[in-house]
Amino acid sequence: MITYAYYPGCVAQESAKELDNATKFIADKLGINLIPMPEASCCGGGVIDGFDKNLKLFINGRTLALAEKDGLDIMTICNTCTLTLSEVNEELINNPESLEKTNEYLAKIGLKYSGKVKVKHILYAVRDDVGLDKLKEKAVKSLKGINIAPFYGCHILRPSSAVKFDDVENPQGFEELIKALGGEPVSYARRTKCCGFQTILVNEATSTSLAGNAIYEAQEKNADVMVTPCPLCHLSLDTYQTVAAKSINKKLSLPILHLPQLIGVALGGDYSEMGFSRHNVSLRGIMAKVRQNEI
Amino acid sequence: MEFKVRAYRFNPEIDEKPYYKEYTVEDYPGMTVLNALIKVKSELDGTLSFRRSCRSAICGSCAMKINGISKLACKTQVSPEIEKFGIINVEPLANMPVVRDLIVDQEIFFDKIKEIKPYLLGQREDEAHNHFHVLKEGEKISQPVYYKPEFQNLTGNNDTPNCILCECCYSECGGVVGNPRYLGPAALAKLYRYSEDPRDNDKNGSRLVNGSKPDGMWDCVHCQSCEEFCPKGISPVKSIVKLHERTIKNSITFSAGSKHVVSIAKSIGETGRLDEIKVAFESGGISGLINDLPMAFGAGLKGKIPPLRLKLIKDMEDIRLAYKELDLEEK
Repeated sequence: MITYAYYPGCVAQESAKELDNATKFIADKLGINLIPMPEASCCGGGVIDGFDKNLKLFINGRTLALAEKDGLDIMTICNTCTLTLSEVNEELINNPESLEKTNEYLAKIGLKYSGKVKVKHILYAVRDDVGLDKLKEKAVKSLKGINIAPFYGCHILRPSSAVKFDDVENPQGFEELIKALGGEPVSYARRTKCCGFQTILVNEATSTSLAGNAIYEAQEKNADVMVTPCPLCHLSLDTYQTVAAKSINKKLSLPILHLPQLIGVALGGDYSEMGFSRHNVSLRGIMAKVRQNEI
Repeated sequence: MEFKVRAYRFNPEIDEKPYYKEYTVEDYPGMTVLNALIKVKSELDGTLSFRRSCRSAICGSCAMKINGISKLACKTQVSPEIEKFGIINVEPLANMPVVRDLIVDQEIFFDKIKEIKPYLLGQREDEAHNHFHVLKEGEKISQPVYYKPEFQNLTGNNDTPNCILCECCYSECGGVVGNPRYLGPAALAKLYRYSEDPRDNDKNGSRLVNGSKPDGMWDCVHCQSCEEFCPKGISPVKSIVKLHERTIKNSITFSAGSKHVVSIAKSIGETGRLDEIKVAFESGGISGLINDLPMAFGAGLKGKIPPLRLKLIKDMEDIRLAYKELDLEEK
């Protein structure tokens, strides 16, 4: 049994609850023990250093210290949480001044951080810690015949000085996982580009044009479904898909899965267990295909 | 060992649309992509056009897309690219119009650099520094002003002045892809560099106010590509975030972007969590809310609604203490 301190982030506990549920579903099937962190705060949504750099260090240093106190590594399911926690971890490990300042605050709340925690996104926790062989072994449905477009997004790859899971120029982790589940990974240029979420409330046109063009490119490459490891990308790609279609003046209709839902389907999760009714673009077509693929 | 160079070709005067042409080149140890292109041009096809000059990663001329990523051809070795991609695929930089083959029109990029006024504004009020001073007999030269502690860090980030204006960041920038009017990473990093310079006489904060307008600093999508792919190891995005922090600390909060950041900080300070509904409302205001209503209504029908009232995280007083320690409670 692999044990992690589980840091779902805010969106997976609010508007994207289906992601949190699917994560717990697959963790149970794959033997991942997720220890909840009820004291953990929001990471700051990737923008908190624009308010105060030290606040980013303090609140995320606290989250890291909470995991360290229990002797656990952290598992995340959101790209932006992954990057923020990883950046703060790197800063605290490599900058003694930042560590001292953060520990002065942590001492006042009965915590201390020494840099022992690793932050791991679920994509790479499944690939590296669970292992793709075990994943294959546990799968009850094959994703054979389904063209799956992996959408990495930004913060699981860049900057590689902070997140070091994959080759930033030509990542393969997602493709390896899709192949292990029997699916056909779709190769397209925008798989590592930005979904635009960070400006969705600031400049919606920028944001929706980025999301729309990524969906359009995947559609043109015959993708049946797109999968993302980040709930923020999911909001841009699925919830805003109708707006994105108008923004780029193209017809878009591509179902978007959270990564744990893709794994969950292969592990036998049904429509309601995966929370597919909460998606904007219907997944009924994909589920019909999967149902025929009994292993 | 032989390898293939696949080059983007386009001469708008004769070609209807761009096409790719392949060349076979013989490798040698340490060969760079620029060496390979020079070999193609001198031995195989003299019509292939690309910019190059210093061959030492300092002039920035030979920036181009190599296997999909903006890089300096002179700084990129052939063998690791072949190992990873099996080919050298060269294309012009993105986000700028193509003049011919691998050459782009840089005007839009330099117009944006000019827009942020990349020079020190006004003059120092200190009279002694505005005039030449003729030394009298026996008078010693006083300590140069730049040795004073206030002038130790002239540019905020030590890395920003190393920019060679090669446009790799601009070509990779997600913000520019989504909004071609966006100033982009190089110009904004320069804006930060000048806004930090104690020699700059920007009395009324015009740099931060102008930088906060639409298409400015708040249009950064935080894709981190500018930092990742800068061939000189500069992080424009970190400069942009410092601009955000400086702008908010100076209470220049008229833009939706600054309201968004302040709202997130406020939400964490109150609940320990990100309140999606409140942040959406406070960032976009009523017009934003009306604009998003159809989308929000659709999502609501599917049950995709965040809770109206958030439960506080456990030990919320820890977070309140962080705000208190950093003197952020009022903000």
